[in-house]
Amino acid sequence: MNTMIETDFPEVFADEMEKLQDALPKKIEANPENAEKGLAKLVLTLIELIRKLMEKQAMRRVEAGSLTDEEIERVGETLMKLENKMKELKEIFGLKDEELNLNLGPLGDLL
Amino acid sequence: MTIKVYAYGVIDSNEKIDEAMKGLNDASLFNIPYRDIGIVVSDLNAQIQKEDKTSVLKHEEVVEKLMDKFTILPMRFLTLFSGKEQVLLIMKDYYDDFIGNLDKLREKIEFGVKTIWPGDLIKERITTAHRKSDNLPLVASSSGKSFMEEKFENYKIDKEFEEEADRCIAIVDGFFSKFTSEKRLEKLKTDNLLLSASYLVDKEKRDDFKKAFEELRGSGGDLKYLLSGPWPPYNFIVLTKPNAKKFGSVDMVDSVFQRKDRI
Amino acid sequence: MDRPIKTTQDKNSYLDLRKQERVTLLEILDRALEKGVVISGDIVISVADVDLVYLGLKVLLSSVETMERLRGAPLSGATEEPT
Repeated sequence: MNTMIETDFPEVFADEMEKLQDALPKKIEANPENAEKGLAKLVLTLIELIRKLMEKQAMRRVEAGSLTDEEIERVGETLMKLENKMKELKEIFGLKDEELNLNLGPLGDLL
Repeated sequence: MTIKVYAYGVIDSNEKIDEAMKGLNDASLFNIPYRDIGIVVSDLNAQIQKEDKTSVLKHEEVVEKLMDKFTILPMRFLTLFSGKEQVLLIMKDYYDDFIGNLDKLREKIEFGVKTIWPGDLIKERITTAHRKSDNLPLVASSSGKSFMEEKFENYKIDKEFEEEADRCIAIVDGFFSKFTSEKRLEKLKTDNLLLSASYLVDKEKRDDFKKAFEELRGSGGDLKYLLSGPWPPYNFIVLTKPNAKKFGSVDMVDSVFQRKDRI
Repeated sequence: MDRPIKTTQDKNSYLDLRKQERVTLLEILDRALEKGVVISGDIVISVADVDLVYLGLKVLLSSVETMERLRGAPLSGATEEPT
């Protein structure tokens, strides 16, 4: 092969790049029990997507100062409950955060 | 449907290729032509394809050998077809896309530049600075509000971290813009992997680019750099035709169940 | 296979070779596993024509050690022939 690698720190880069490989979701074993898990993964991933978008939007509103105190309280309560619920569900289905990552094409990964 | 054929890439030639070249599992390579292009394949042996280190390296070796003689659009690793007919169908469907990409990438190579910075430390520094200037409420906040306060602080920290990253990336990128026609920048794939960049470079500007990397490397600071290449242009292939099967939710569930038959 | 290697850490050249191999392999994986001509996806969900979810049923090679363990494992989730 004629590809060259040039660096003073091959180990440092290898370590860092290996982290990326570990974070990728592993293959889904397609037997009936795991098919269920695959479906749960899909559903939870979509919920996480919506939840994170909501959180992000809330942060932008806080930054812009466009939420009243009551709204901040209400939104905070809701987001908190959502976050806790998601933690529960992830535990029930034995799913880790990295497994619910989404590739949004040109927008990169969700997490 | 059995899988018979392993594809390495699309080339801008419809001619036979050197018969001495071997692919995965030591199978012969051959070019399946369609109009003025072709896809280089090898037959899959009866053995199950081993998706291990050896196979990936072999795939890459074949693609790079072909790159010496042709313009090639490398296939993603493990692209398999049931046979010649499928391969021809693909070239028919994607002909315009393939020709467009081949034209764009002719006489060009891809270089990779990666940069590591002390992201952990920088994030710590920013976090500490924020905590110091916190206006902590004298009265305990209600739970919804404190949730939001914490989230907001993390949001600000992340934002500042990213802005700092953007500044550094712009500096690094600045060394190379002169020599590249196209680039892909992936920022902060991890906190410490500041930048993972791919640059499309004219073959004749190859040495200029490498010189620019040396300049970057000598520019001081505590950043670490990696240059790789020349690569086949994996990162610069753009297919405009939607290329994946789309399933509705019902179909998807069925597919997941059906998959087990093939494993 | 001759592969030009350039590193300034020449204290133990055998170790350097292993490090270089590791990073070279990771660089190759970084490209060949996800990029290039991607003809068939596995399962995709579209929202208003934007591909939102790509559930890769392909095998993902996570590290050199894991890959070595996979040697001989059956092929699952390989990209299929398109219709």
